[in-house]
Amino acid sequence: MYADFRAPRRRLRVTEELEAPLPLSPRERSHFQAELLNQHVLVCDPEHSQKIHDQGYFGKGVLSRSRPEHNISNQWEQHEGVFLPVVSQARYEELLKWVGSALSAQGWDEEAVHQTLLRLSQPIQMEDVRNQMGGEGEAEENGERGKEEPEQEGGVSPQMKRSRRGSEVEPEAKRSCSSEQDSDSSLDCDPDSDPDPAPLVPGPGFLLVVSDSETGGGVREVRRTPFFLSEYLQLSLEEAFFLVYSLGCLSVYLQQEPLSIVQLWRTFRSLRPDFISSYAVYHHFRSKGWVPKGGGGAKYGVDLMLYRKGPPFYHASYSVVIERADDAFRASPLRPFSWRSLAALSRITANVSKELMLCYIIYPADLSEAELDSPVCLRRLKVQEVIVSRWVSSRERAEQDDI
Amino acid sequence: MATIISDEFDGHQDPEESRSSRQTPGIMADQNNTDDKGKFYSEILSPSELFAARSRSHKIPVRGQKDFFPDDSDEQKQRLEHSLNEHWSLLSEERVERLGNLVNGQWIPSKQIVELQSPAGKFWQTMGFSANGKQCLLPEEALYLMECGNLQVFHQDLPLSIQDGYEKFLSANTVSLQQYQVFGHLKRLGYVVLRFDPSSESSSYARQLNLPQSSDRAGRQLKRKRSLSPAPSSTPTATCSRAEAQEECSTEKMEEDKCSEGEEDKKLPEPPEAQSSADEGGGRSWWMMDVLGDSDKDSGHGSKSGSSCWDFSSISFPDLGSTSREHFPSDLAPPDPSLLPRDLKVGFCDIAPWRQKINLRQVKMSANEQKREKYRRRWDVNKNREVRRCRNWAEYQELMARRKGKREGRPAHLWNREVTPLHDPTQPIATGELLEKISVIKPTHLLEGASRLKDADDWRICFNVYQPNTVADFKKSNPGKPYSRMCVCSFDDPVPDLRAIKLLAYQSGDIPVVIAVVDYGDISFYTFKDFQLPTDVYP
Repeated sequence: MYADFRAPRRRLRVTEELEAPLPLSPRERSHFQAELLNQHVLVCDPEHSQKIHDQGYFGKGVLSRSRPEHNISNQWEQHEGVFLPVVSQARYEELLKWVGSALSAQGWDEEAVHQTLLRLSQPIQMEDVRNQMGGEGEAEENGERGKEEPEQEGGVSPQMKRSRRGSEVEPEAKRSCSSEQDSDSSLDCDPDSDPDPAPLVPGPGFLLVVSDSETGGGVREVRRTPFFLSEYLQLSLEEAFFLVYSLGCLSVYLQQEPLSIVQLWRTFRSLRPDFISSYAVYHHFRSKGWVPKGGGGAKYGVDLMLYRKGPPFYHASYSVVIERADDAFRASPLRPFSWRSLAALSRITANVSKELMLCYIIYPADLSEAELDSPVCLRRLKVQEVIVSRWVSSRERAEQDDI
Repeated sequence: MATIISDEFDGHQDPEESRSSRQTPGIMADQNNTDDKGKFYSEILSPSELFAARSRSHKIPVRGQKDFFPDDSDEQKQRLEHSLNEHWSLLSEERVERLGNLVNGQWIPSKQIVELQSPAGKFWQTMGFSANGKQCLLPEEALYLMECGNLQVFHQDLPLSIQDGYEKFLSANTVSLQQYQVFGHLKRLGYVVLRFDPSSESSSYARQLNLPQSSDRAGRQLKRKRSLSPAPSSTPTATCSRAEAQEECSTEKMEEDKCSEGEEDKKLPEPPEAQSSADEGGGRSWWMMDVLGDSDKDSGHGSKSGSSCWDFSSISFPDLGSTSREHFPSDLAPPDPSLLPRDLKVGFCDIAPWRQKINLRQVKMSANEQKREKYRRRWDVNKNREVRRCRNWAEYQELMARRKGKREGRPAHLWNREVTPLHDPTQPIATGELLEKISVIKPTHLLEGASRLKDADDWRICFNVYQPNTVADFKKSNPGKPYSRMCVCSFDDPVPDLRAIKLLAYQSGDIPVVIAVVDYGDISFYTFKDFQLPTDVYP
């Protein structure tokens, strides 16, 4: 009567190690911060986003597939003892053009833009690069790693990408220019005594520009990175609420003001009509130690995918469809099934070697609106997991085990 | 009269040689030969027909390679036609049976069963039952055997055709067409399919006691070697089920009581909290009220611009400890009388004795200390935006508390409210314990609360299915536990919701339920099984 538990399938190539199952470190007392912008929860600080992602696999980088690892280039080379990203001449000029147009859009006059671009595209001496790197604590590690690079091959670049993730946030080009000017003029970083949540990260970037083989013959020159691309970590509503409510390690700010738990609950409920059901399911699976990831809708037609430990280690084991039921177990289905759609979904799920799970959240009859307005109502809900599978009647009879 | 239907090729059929229903076995009549030119349909084969039937090719049409889309070529058209013709000819084959091998039965509409009039064949091992000393078949079994060519059923002395069989045997009282289709599908694959009888299923209480199951397939009592009570088998189970129902009702009531008690407990702590916050709110501004009172009494002398706050930037507070070289005048002028309480007269103040009491020596600092001093002088707490937003000392203290909370990992906006996080991140805890701590949503299983649904009627189990490899040892009197139970529905019916799944699970007990979905002859099977995801803790 009970479905058997099938062991999750490990991925063929596992290149990471699990840091921690959840982003908790009592000794460090780190408290993470996220902003609620335009109905999305974003973590801007790179350190926070790294910890939140790597310890529990919450969230997704906005410019990347999973963890925020957007880089100006995917190719890295060693150049005079330092590891730098490589960019072709054409691409470099394109980047410079973008900076120019951004500055003109800000209202700069042509001459100023031209001067800035000239200044930006000066070739850099390697001593400057090393000085820069030596001047900052974070970059020291980069320098050391730069020396270590020659010994390791291949698998190094993903690690380097992680350390290089410190890029700045700059939707406004003016601010980017001022920071560039800062880095032009003074090599020290201003210690920020102001505890503003401004995501300023020190450290200009350098890159290696390869001139076209026709003209320069593959000559490599070190230049400054024209602009910085920032990447945030985006958390889904359920992930953010879990970090705030269950673990107490995240705060969500709306227009610089932190939201309390009840305010966050109400905000999320207004953003999504059945937030309670989807959050209850998310919470349930997290409290079993599994990693639920949303976004399975576009790929597999379901609400959640369940991973053991995290996406880099195992293939997803279950595709979960969230349903709600009332006290008499009658469902008011969030997505009504017909046999045709259920058959289709079952086939798709079997084709990708996963199991289809329907997860029912059962609401007691006497749950009032006032109770629903606070996350304490979660204690009154119940979860029923049902595995749907297709039975083939004509399979080899000798090999048939229990259904 | 005997129309032939063969929708699947039955591998286990020997082609037998008679189509006749009434004649005695073994007679081959030649008298019909002359009339055989298509006018009169004869059921007994002429020798030439018999020979033709016997030497029929047994080849099953082979499915060639698939063409994915039409290419309007003659070759493709020919292939398709050839293939179609093969199939049509196979379908239109008349099946030839030997009279002697046909078992005869009689349809009894009053009891809706078929009574056999000649001894049953091999099928008796898994089908049929005995009643009143005779061998009988259930209507679906009879129809199936008719389609197999093993059985001939008479009604009012006339043999029934397959079409008659479908019309008469399948009805609301017996088995519906869809259920019969599933029955036939499973039987042809070799499964043993028996009807499901809910009353013969022991209740969960009886299962707990591990009572042996009785099987009365047609409602007849079977003698058991051990009987736990002298009464017939049906009544103990009935009383058991009633007692068990009462038990379940009472336990459910207890659960509900506990829930309501829990709720009451929760309600109590809330009102006192509300009160204390009100007090705090009132208490915060008591000194503001007093200041207002004073300024009113002073008839507008004290406060400028009508606000209750003084403008401290315009009031000079002398710094007696200043180390600057400027000499202070030896006495201080009295302050503005509007700043003083009423009836207080202040004159000039001689500060020389005070300055003597103060240690005005310069402190010698090392270079580091001087640098730090310089930075400290430059640092102004008021440069901070958040500090500037505080309008009074109380708000500044709140800001300090908030910062402290944030620094220590327990920010005020999370911890000083009605709903606090489930876990304090500053507390070290093992992962397993943490998962237990945050498990606030209870898992449940299918049978929980399912007894409430037992009177529902819409989803019913029809069949018990036994695996084919048990056929050799199968005993109808004691079939044992079925492999699964079947519930049949149509493809256009709604998908079972949680209520239906629970109802079926309740009816079935511990045997998995398979739902057969019939789509005009195509049958798919789905299971909805209970599941509990195991907790996964890895160090």
